[in-house]
Amino acid sequence: MSWLTLPVDLLSKYLGLFTDVWLTLVFGFLIVPAVFGVPFGIHKYYIKILLSIFEWTTLQMELKAKEKNNQLYKHYTSGIIVKVPDSTLKQEIQDLRCSAGCLSLDPRLELADVFVFCRKALENIIDDDVTKRFSAQKLENWNLLTRSNHNFRYINLKLLALWILGVLIRYGVLLPFRVTVAVTGIFLFVVLSTVVGLIPCTKTYLSDKVHLMGYRLCVRSLTGIITYHNRENKPKNDGICVANHTTPIDGIVLANDHCYSLVGQLHGGLLGLIQRAMVKSSPHMWFERAEVKDRRLVAKRLRDHVADENKHPVLIFPEGTCVNNTSVMMFRKGSFEIGCTVYPAAIKYDPRFGDAFWNSSKFGLVGYLLRMMSSWAIVCSVWYLPPMNRKEGEDAMQFANRVKAAIAAQGGLVDLIWDAGLKRTKVKDTFKEEQQQLYSKILLGDHEYQNHPES
Amino acid sequence: MGTSAAGNRLCVISEEGGEIRRLGKRFRKLDLDGSGSLSVDDFMSLPELQQNPLVRRIIDIFDTDGNGEIDFIEFIRGVSQFSIRGNQQQKLNFAFRVYDVDKDGFISNGELFQVLKAMVGSNLQDAALQQAVDKTILSADRDGDGRISFHEFCTVVDLVVSHQHGHTQLGPLVQKVLVLNKTHQT
Repeated sequence: MSWLTLPVDLLSKYLGLFTDVWLTLVFGFLIVPAVFGVPFGIHKYYIKILLSIFEWTTLQMELKAKEKNNQLYKHYTSGIIVKVPDSTLKQEIQDLRCSAGCLSLDPRLELADVFVFCRKALENIIDDDVTKRFSAQKLENWNLLTRSNHNFRYINLKLLALWILGVLIRYGVLLPFRVTVAVTGIFLFVVLSTVVGLIPCTKTYLSDKVHLMGYRLCVRSLTGIITYHNRENKPKNDGICVANHTTPIDGIVLANDHCYSLVGQLHGGLLGLIQRAMVKSSPHMWFERAEVKDRRLVAKRLRDHVADENKHPVLIFPEGTCVNNTSVMMFRKGSFEIGCTVYPAAIKYDPRFGDAFWNSSKFGLVGYLLRMMSSWAIVCSVWYLPPMNRKEGEDAMQFANRVKAAIAAQGGLVDLIWDAGLKRTKVKDTFKEEQQQLYSKILLGDHEYQNHPES
Repeated sequence: MGTSAAGNRLCVISEEGGEIRRLGKRFRKLDLDGSGSLSVDDFMSLPELQQNPLVRRIIDIFDTDGNGEIDFIEFIRGVSQFSIRGNQQQKLNFAFRVYDVDKDGFISNGELFQVLKAMVGSNLQDAALQQAVDKTILSADRDGDGRISFHEFCTVVDLVVSHQHGHTQLGPLVQKVLVLNKTHQT
């Protein structure tokens, strides 16, 4: 029977060798550099190679489409129609009436006014500005991931082979590497953070180092390629940092570069374990579920934290929920009422290498992380914006909108007034009532409108 | 097809075959329960439509067979009402039907009041609104029957609409689909 045991012996010997090599690679090239903050350096070439492969892919698909005498169906990110640029209801009705030759907006009823409402409604039926923010951004060109392909008909044999190769690399090589790094990272972080928490003196210095190491490992585990711009505007200890929210990874992306105090709800399970370990070495603010509803309590804790100069800036995402990184939605005014300096930051992900948006209605956190770890990379840019303070005579909502506009402008995102919570809820009736009010003013003229009280 | 000047119009910027496909995708995205037709709730899932006071009237116009839901053909037909290939008549027809709630071909005093009430909400007292409605009907009604026919409507509104405020531009393929469906039904 020795001929049976021989291959088994060989197999186990080579498997052992293989595991040794693998662990050496992972530790030597990924974990140890991350622990000490040494950059690895091959990312640029990785990106370049991927981009040229994607271009070749698109070319192949176009050629195939031409063979069939069709156009390759491209998803124009600007939508189906060209919309009338946003103007007020008054302006639009004025334009409509003035095209008939009247010079001013007389307060009277015009049967043609319905055209304005009809056109707006039709525009929104064909392409509205809000619901498309709650699902992943569509790509113009395919990036060899099935999750973002809409042109299955135009794949030929070469592309199929390339795609299979891609799947093998992503799931066979990249995913195991990344999972190993993530697990090691979290383990190290929890242990070290607890240990540092027990040491009384030099607590801040060591805890900062431990936190930064933890985040670096997390970023490496996702193959995160982050470019930070305008580092001179980095948040200081006397304020809060606000940013647009796309994914739970946003916090990791920002904390990779600077230490923050996080705010959020205390969870159970693995996440709760990590949260509790973090709190031991650095003052994060985790709230129990019941406390979250008490806004005054939250505001007070924030205010106390900000007032203490030794504590890190607080990281807040005022949108309240994840949106797909094509726009910035309404900021909740709670964090802007505290009255401290606000350090805005804009985060823009490059969707070609992996879509970072967490669609919480489609997958849970674990499914999301697996998708992240099986994409090519997470590429993003972070811009630190100059600090902003509330101006005289500006209320919290106006201040919030000003900050939002600055972030949208920097990140190249669309600035929307709509609440990201509309993912799950309906629009308040006040919006419709506002439109009705505007139209009534036009009918009556502003002067007479004041004489007619609302019934 | 390509792009056309934006200005005050709705224009579709894709190639011919792509239009139906895009509208199809849009239709499927709006159809939340996957039933193959759009209900009022499906439309009302769009936040920007929720704030539009005339949205129910417009859905009612789309719904040509009156079953309370919009299937794909009604959807395309409804959207192409504002087509540049259509004439002035089509647009005027659409606006007329916004007011003509019972679809009897005439805008009665009550119908005009009803639609305007939706547009102004509770910001105008009923008496003042009724006054405005009476005045409008009086000036538009030529044959003295107390209601506005399509012909009378066109006379009043034509001047304003002649500058082509608001239309989509859908290609010949869409028109083909609509024609095919008509012949299929007859």
